[in-house]
Amino acid sequence: MSKKKLLKLLSYSFLTLVIFLLPLFIRQPYILHVLIMMGVNIILASSLRFIATSGQFSLAHAGMVSIGAYASPLLVMKQGFSFWVTFPIAGATSMIIACLIGYPFARLKGIYFTMVTLFLTEFIKLIAEQWRGLTGGVYGITGIPRPNAIIIPELLNVSFSSKVDFYYLALIMVIVTLLILYAIESSRIGMTFLSIQQSDLLAESVGVNSTGFRVLAFSIGCFFAGLDGAFYSHYLSAIAPGSFGFLLSIYAFIYMVVGGRRKFSGPIIGAIILTLIPELSRGFKEYEPFVFAGILLLVILLLREGVVSLPERLNKIIKRRFSHA
Amino acid sequence: MTKYFGGLAAVNGLDFDVSRGELVGLIGPNGAGKTTVFNLITGFIWPSKGKVIFKGKDITGQKPHLIAKTGIVRTFQATTLFSHFSVLQNIVAACYLKSEVNFWGAIFHTSNSLKKEEGVLRRAFEIVRFVGLEAFKDHPTRGLPHGYKRILGIAVSLAADPQLLLLDEPLSGMNAEEVDRAVTLIRRIWERGTTILLIEHNMRAAMNLCHRIIVLEMGRKITEGTPEEVKANKEVIKAYLGTGRHDT
Amino acid sequence: MLEQNLLNGLMSGWIYILVALGLTLVLSIVGIVQLAHGEIYMIGAYLVYYFCVIAGFRFFPSLLISIFCAGLLGIFLERFFLRAFRDDVEGAIISTIALILILQTAIVAIAGVGYKNIPSPIQGVLIVLGARLSWERLMTILVSIALVSALLIFINKTRMGQAMVAVSEDREAAALQGINVDRISSIAMFLGCSLAAAAGALTGAIFDLTPFMGGFALMKGIAVIILGGLGSIPGAIIGGLILGLVDGLVTALLSVQMASIIGLLVIILILLFRPQGLLGHE
Repeated sequence: MSKKKLLKLLSYSFLTLVIFLLPLFIRQPYILHVLIMMGVNIILASSLRFIATSGQFSLAHAGMVSIGAYASPLLVMKQGFSFWVTFPIAGATSMIIACLIGYPFARLKGIYFTMVTLFLTEFIKLIAEQWRGLTGGVYGITGIPRPNAIIIPELLNVSFSSKVDFYYLALIMVIVTLLILYAIESSRIGMTFLSIQQSDLLAESVGVNSTGFRVLAFSIGCFFAGLDGAFYSHYLSAIAPGSFGFLLSIYAFIYMVVGGRRKFSGPIIGAIILTLIPELSRGFKEYEPFVFAGILLLVILLLREGVVSLPERLNKIIKRRFSHA
Repeated sequence: MTKYFGGLAAVNGLDFDVSRGELVGLIGPNGAGKTTVFNLITGFIWPSKGKVIFKGKDITGQKPHLIAKTGIVRTFQATTLFSHFSVLQNIVAACYLKSEVNFWGAIFHTSNSLKKEEGVLRRAFEIVRFVGLEAFKDHPTRGLPHGYKRILGIAVSLAADPQLLLLDEPLSGMNAEEVDRAVTLIRRIWERGTTILLIEHNMRAAMNLCHRIIVLEMGRKITEGTPEEVKANKEVIKAYLGTGRHDT
Repeated sequence: MLEQNLLNGLMSGWIYILVALGLTLVLSIVGIVQLAHGEIYMIGAYLVYYFCVIAGFRFFPSLLISIFCAGLLGIFLERFFLRAFRDDVEGAIISTIALILILQTAIVAIAGVGYKNIPSPIQGVLIVLGARLSWERLMTILVSIALVSALLIFINKTRMGQAMVAVSEDREAAALQGINVDRISSIAMFLGCSLAAAAGALTGAIFDLTPFMGGFALMKGIAVIILGGLGSIPGAIIGGLILGLVDGLVTALLSVQMASIIGLLVIILILLFRPQGLLGHE
């Protein structure tokens, strides 16, 4: 194995080890909370980017998250199902709704698609606020139970009474999500998404059902948004429609763009950085949007392809400097 | 077929056929409706009146990707490529119909689907070589000279393994050398058994290549026949002289 | 009761028209998806608050000053910031989102998040045929009509207005005809922001102000443009009136919330089945 590859493998292994063993050294609930929210945001941004690979910019993500965030607690609290059953069902609910509306939506191009997803998010939020019988109205749902304990006698007793348990759940969720998204993206399916994004006319002319694939990308992305929502609601134990307005959709979009839309690792980096910012700017919370805005402007004016493109850009600049020498 | 856009008939009572193994040319002044005909045949737009019949089946009103599946592939008048992909990636992507993609197999990267992808890669490679772009196979489409981009467009359509290939002004913007190479390529494609219907403004090339020519003006067929017959036809001359268009 | 809701609906309609016309101007002439348009609306309201309540000027002078200042702000933003993203949709979206954050936070820092109030410039009701019509709302409608009429006269009867139409149809062709596209852009931005600020100020005279009032205006503005058709001025007027009246009627018959829901549903359906809007082109 080449030296470069060995180095890469070692650093990834080390990173993985650190991430898995973290709770042994860090037990402060606050830090664990930030890390958990990082995980939530990574899934949020990555699933949004997945949809973007097919050429669609969706602002419906907040709505899709909220569908999962309501579905799981409602099934657990009103029908008595176990979290482990309702969790995938929540994802499936978001996915099915995405699939149903995806077909008429997918015919819309570009900015029209984005606009209709924006209105959809508002629509879902309004319904959540009005349908008091189902969703608890503006006040939402409180007292959402923790995920059912996992008990394997003499091996495991995970009761989700501490943040550490949620940390590992989030970690596993993130890993599984990223693995699945990466697997799809690096397959022919992923290539077909990219081809539709670049020219859906050309893709159609060689036999690709561009509408069908767009719906597929949208549905899969929304599935993970639903899962994210379900985790979120059982983690926080209370949700309200206010958390799922179009601001959340915009944040997801920002995580994706700041990190870098074109690479798989982009939204991950974006989510990590932008989850840390509010935490680091605790002191001057009112100015937090300024910091966000500043980062957005920096990215858009200097690093169009996002933070992940920084190494490449630096390389180019360095090469140029040295070729002049 | 007839197609109305608003009150105007872009194609008006047009009726023609193409037999298997032919190399037919579709010519006419600008605005005669030629690209509209291609759009109608391949399902990108649907006729106001009339039918499209392919291999005995009525394909009118079908979606473009399904028509491509039945064996009709078209290229585009404006250079249309997957602009972020390399030359080879363009063709690999366009091998979609031939990739026998199985959703779950693809996701789990099963050895079966990996083998199929290898086959696709090999096929794409052959196509790159067939059209003469192998030296550029990893080149991004962005910096490619215009003539090569047009060739790539044809290569992309070949990836879908067409029985009937509709080429929309493949030679547009090409210099003399590029035209010669492209004409050779088109002839070789035809020799391999693909039926070709060709729109071209380059008269000399069209007359050289095609066995039969259909002439359109204002959405109607004004004549058809061999190149010699068409060249001598008075109405064709009037149609072209009227717009000041001469052969290149 | 019904007539009051209808009057409210009519007034909302004209406010929506002001916002939508401003947004259309910026969209089709400057060429930017100005997502911070709602924040200009909000700033218009706060400017009047400062001139009227803090500085002590009368309402109408404050309104005029605020409109003018907002216009100037718009020119500044367009010239030094937004022009770079003229045909870059993704860039425009991102930079105007940044602008939303900046403007909102600035107002929060200056004025705080609490509700502010501008005292009503006109009190009392007009009684017509037994209906009690609030003068406040009537005034809002009349001022809006005046502003829109002024805009229409400007567009149709002046050379600059016609130049704006030319730029909105084909920027390059207009440039070739000798039109100074950059200057027309600035003027369009000035007008667009002025209209938004006027809408905000008029709304602020009736309802409470908050730094977050812009989002609502933006959504309504976009909804009207979609309903009436992108780039169509008559479309924006008709669309605004329809949306406003629907809001007013549904509020009267059902509830405010149902009005929003039905309004959204209508817009979603229009986008799905007639995306070019009522008066737009294919």
